[in-house]
Amino acid sequence: MDFQRLLNKPFVILDGAMGTMLQKLGLPAGGHPEAMNITHPEMVEKVHRGYIESGADIIYTNTFGANRYKLQKSGYTPEEVISAGIKAARKAAEGTGCLVALDIGPIGQLLEPSGTLDFEEAVDIFAEQVKAGVKYGADLIAIETMTDLGEARAAVLAAKENSSLPVICTMTFEKSKRTFTGCTVSAMALTLEGLGADAIGINCSLGPDELKPLVEELAAWTSLPIIVKPNAGLPDPVTGEYKFSPENFAKHIADLVPLGIKIVGGCCGSTPDTIAAVRRVLDSASPAKREVKTIPAVCSAVKTVPLDSVRVVGERINPTGKKLFKQALLRQDIDYIIDQAIDQVDAGAEILDVNVGIPEIDEKQMMVKCVKALQSMVRAPLQIDSSDPAVIEAGLRVYHGKAIVNSVNGDEESLDSVLPIVKKYGAAVIGLTLDKSGIPKTAKQRFQIAERILNRALEYGIPRESVFIDCLTLTASAEQEGASETLKAVRMCKEKLGLKTVLGVSNISFGLPRRELLNQTFLTLALAHGLDLPIINPNAESMMNAVRAFRLLYNIDKGGAEYIRALAEKVESEPPANPAGNTQGANLNLGYAVENGLKDEAAQITEKLLETTDPMQIIDTCLIPALDRVGADFEKGRIFLPQLIYSAGAAQAAFEAIKTRMSKSSGGEVSKGKIVLATVKGDIHDIGKNIVKVMLENYGYTVIDLGRDVDYNLVLDAAVKHDADIVGLSALMTTTLKSMEKTIALLKEHNVKAKIMVGGAVMTADYAGKIGADYYARDAKEAVDIAKKVIG
Amino acid sequence: MNTARVYIPETPPAVEVQDVLHYLGYGSAQPDDDTLGLINDCKLKLEAVMEPKAVYASYPLKFVEGYPVLENCGFKLVGREIAEHLQGCSTAVMFAATLSLSTDMLISQAQAKDMAAGVVLDCCATAAIEKLSEMVETEIKSAYPGRYFTTKYSPGYGDFPIELQKGFLDTLNAQKLIGLYTNEACLLVPIKSVTAIIGVGDEPPKGLKTGCAFCRLKDNCSFRKRGQYCGLSKAAE
Repeated sequence: MDFQRLLNKPFVILDGAMGTMLQKLGLPAGGHPEAMNITHPEMVEKVHRGYIESGADIIYTNTFGANRYKLQKSGYTPEEVISAGIKAARKAAEGTGCLVALDIGPIGQLLEPSGTLDFEEAVDIFAEQVKAGVKYGADLIAIETMTDLGEARAAVLAAKENSSLPVICTMTFEKSKRTFTGCTVSAMALTLEGLGADAIGINCSLGPDELKPLVEELAAWTSLPIIVKPNAGLPDPVTGEYKFSPENFAKHIADLVPLGIKIVGGCCGSTPDTIAAVRRVLDSASPAKREVKTIPAVCSAVKTVPLDSVRVVGERINPTGKKLFKQALLRQDIDYIIDQAIDQVDAGAEILDVNVGIPEIDEKQMMVKCVKALQSMVRAPLQIDSSDPAVIEAGLRVYHGKAIVNSVNGDEESLDSVLPIVKKYGAAVIGLTLDKSGIPKTAKQRFQIAERILNRALEYGIPRESVFIDCLTLTASAEQEGASETLKAVRMCKEKLGLKTVLGVSNISFGLPRRELLNQTFLTLALAHGLDLPIINPNAESMMNAVRAFRLLYNIDKGGAEYIRALAEKVESEPPANPAGNTQGANLNLGYAVENGLKDEAAQITEKLLETTDPMQIIDTCLIPALDRVGADFEKGRIFLPQLIYSAGAAQAAFEAIKTRMSKSSGGEVSKGKIVLATVKGDIHDIGKNIVKVMLENYGYTVIDLGRDVDYNLVLDAAVKHDADIVGLSALMTTTLKSMEKTIALLKEHNVKAKIMVGGAVMTADYAGKIGADYYARDAKEAVDIAKKVIG
Repeated sequence: MNTARVYIPETPPAVEVQDVLHYLGYGSAQPDDDTLGLINDCKLKLEAVMEPKAVYASYPLKFVEGYPVLENCGFKLVGREIAEHLQGCSTAVMFAATLSLSTDMLISQAQAKDMAAGVVLDCCATAAIEKLSEMVETEIKSAYPGRYFTTKYSPGYGDFPIELQKGFLDTLNAQKLIGLYTNEACLLVPIKSVTAIIGVGDEPPKGLKTGCAFCRLKDNCSFRKRGQYCGLSKAAE
C-alpha cells in the first residue's frame, strides 16, 4: 500500500495524539517526548498499536520535536530519535498495511523577520529530519501544527528537495480563521498546493466543532485532499480532561463530511477510542463529491488577491530612470523601498512589482533582502521582476506566498530557464509576447507566442490559471499602428486562451505632450479590451481614477461605493499631528520650520532657498544650527522624544528637497560622511537604532542601515565596502552584548578604520570601553555629537 | 498533570496616556496638544490591531535546602534572588503574555513611514503589555481568595537568568498556545511580551523587596537620574 493508493479509499484515517498519551503513560513533565523512542520504545509502540487497532491507516512517528534546535539539551541527535521513532512505528505497523509518516512539527523558534531564524537555516534543520526519515524508511512525510507559512514552506521545500515521498501538511488556525502569524486559509492553500504538497489541512488548536468555516474556505481554495486533525477540544484546567468524548468528536467529524474532508485524525487529547469512533462514523458515511473551481489568485501569507476583476500592480519599485532609487539601492536603503511600497498600497495598488536590478550591486542579494523586508511590512502580494532567472529563483525562494514572476518570453532559452523555477515554487508567471526575433507587429503573431508560452507552461505542470500574458505596449510616437494591435492581442488572449492579461501602460506616451492623457486613455481602452493587471504608477491619480471609473461602469464596484469614497469632494483633512503650534502670520524661515517640526513648510522653504543659495550653505547655516538648538532643548528636558523626531522629520524633508535638486543637476550626493548602523546579531529591538538613524541622516550623514539581527561579517563587509567613517552598533540585552563584542573584535581584527560607536539600554560607558568601542552614545543626540566630533 | 490555561481578555488592555508619557520620558512635564493627539491616534491604531493573549499555570512550591522547587514541573528555578522572592509561598504561578506579532508589525511599519509615530506606538504597546500583565495577575489572584501574593518576577531580573526564558515558555507551551517564542539570544518574540512568576502564600510576602531602594541598578539607572521609575519599581509601589 502506498499513499496514492490509500487515497482511493473513501476516507483515510490518521492516528490521534501522541504527546498526551505518553504523558498518561508517565512521561515526566518537561521531558522530551521524542527521547522516549530511545528510552521507552515499548511505550511508544504501545501508543501506535492502540491507534492501529482502532483503525488508523496512517500513524505519525513520535518525532514532532525531533529537530536539532529542540533536541539541543536532550543528549540525542535528530537522526537517533528519528531512527528509533520509525523503528517503533514500524514494529507496531508490521503486517497491518498501516503506513508510517515521519512527523515534523515546528522548529520552536520564529523565523526572520519576526524572529531571528534564517529561512535557509530552517530549510536545513528540516532537511536533516527528512533525510533521516528517508534513510530509516518512512512512507510519507507529515508536516503539522505550523503557524508560520514561511516555516511550513521551509519544511515542504526540505521534503521536496530531499525525498520523493508524498508530503502532507497541516497548519494550526485560531477562531479568527488566521494563524498566530496572520496566515489565512486561502494563502496556505495557494502556497502549499503550489509547492507540490499532496494533501493539506488543519490540525490542533480548535476542536472539531469549530472547524466548519475553515474547512469551507479551504475547500474553495484547493483541489488537494483535505486533512482535519483537530484537538479533542480544550483541556479542563483543573482535571486536565479534554472536552470531547470519542462519540461527540466523531459526530462533529461527520458534520464535516459534506464539506469534502478526506483524511481525518485527532490531535491533542484524542485517544485510540476517539479514532475508533471516527472510523465507525466514516465507515458508514459516503464522501462528498467535490467540485473545485480553481480561482486565479496570488497571495502573500496574510492577504489573498483573487484575480476576479481589475487589480492594479504598482510599478514604482524599479530603478529604471530614477536617480534617487538607484542611490538608495547603492547604500542598501531598504527603508526607502519600503516607503515606496507603503505609498503605493495606500494609493490603491494591490500587487507590487519588485525590480532592483542595477549593474553596480548584487541583484540577487538585494532581491532577497527586499522580498524579506517587503513581505514583513506590506500585505500586498509581490511580483518578482528580473531578467535573471537566478534572481527570480532567489526571490521566490524566500517569498512566503504565491508571487508573480515578471517574466518569461517566447524564446526557448527563456522558457526553459524560467518555467521550471515557476513550477518549483508554485508561482504565477507573466509571458511576454516576444521571442528571439523581437516583438511581432501583429496581434495574431503575438497571440501565437502567447499560445506557445501557455503550452510550454502546461507541459511543465504550471496550471493554466497561473499563466498571465503581457501583449506589450509600444510607444505610440514611434509605432503608431502598434497600439491597436496590442489592444487586439489583449482581447484575443483573454477570449481565446482564457488567460489573465497584464500590461505596462505608460510606455505608450513617450515623446508626446500631455502624457497623462494618453496613458489614461490607453489604460481605459485596454481595460475595455480585457486587461486584468495594469502595471502602473498608482500615485498618478488620473490612472487610478480611470481604474475606478472602469470598475463603476462595468458594474464591478457595486453602487459605486469605492468610486464615491475616493472621488467625492474631499473634506480638507487635518494634517497629521505635529507639534507645530500656530504658524499663522509667523515669518517662516527654515530654522523655525525645523524647530517646530513643519515638514511641508521645511521642504517648500528649502526649494525656494535652493534657487538662490548653495545646498551646503543651507545645510550648514540653517539646518544644522536649527537641529542643534532642538538637540540642546532635548538634552535639557525642554522638549521630548516626539518633538525631537518631528524636527528630524522636517529636516529630512528639507534634505530630500536638496537631494532631489542635486540629483537633477550635478548628480552628486550631499553627504558629510558615511556611517554604518546595525542592531547586532540576535537582537531584534531596533527602535533605538532607527531613531539614531533618523537623527544622523538629518545632519547630512549618509547612513547605511544594515537593519537588525545583523551578522558580524555583514557589518565588516559594509564598513569596508562603503569605507565608513563610523560604525554604530546597538544591543538591548545582556545576551546580545556578546554579539556586539564579537562584532567589534572582528572589525578590529581586520583593522577597519571606522570609529566604533555603541549604544543600547544596558550599555554603559565603562562597558563600551571594555569591549573595544571608541565611543558610547547614551542617546540619539549624543550619537550626533560623536559623529560631529569624528567626521565634522 | 498540570495544564496551562489560556487567558484572552474580554476587553483589550486599555492604554493610559499617562503611562505612554512616562515611557516617552515626559516625567512631570506637560505634553502639547499635538503630541497628545498623536498619542491618541496611536492608541486607537494599536487597540485595533493588537491581539492580547496570555497563558498561565500554577505549581505547588516547596523549599529544598532553602531553594524553591516547583512540583510536577520540568522547570527549575535558578538564583538566590528568586529563592528570596518566593520565601514563605506554597504555590507559584508562571505566566506569559503577549500582544502578538500584529503589534510588532504595526510598530515596524510606523517606523518606516513616520518615526515619531513609531516611537509613540512603541510606548503605547509597552503600556499595553504592562496593563495586560496586570490583568493576568488579577485573573490569577481571583483564583486564590484570601491569599497573599508576591510581585511578579521575570527571567532577566537580578540573578534569575534570562537563559531560562525558553524553558519557561516550553513549560507553559506558550509557543503553541499563544504564539510566543524566544530566539537564540533569549529575547521574546513577539517583542511586546512578558513572562513572569508570582508566589502565592498564606501570609504577606516577606521575601525579596522590589523597588528602587533594592535594585542593583539604582546607582546607574537613567530613569532615576531623571527622577522617574521603571515598570518594575512601579509594580512594587
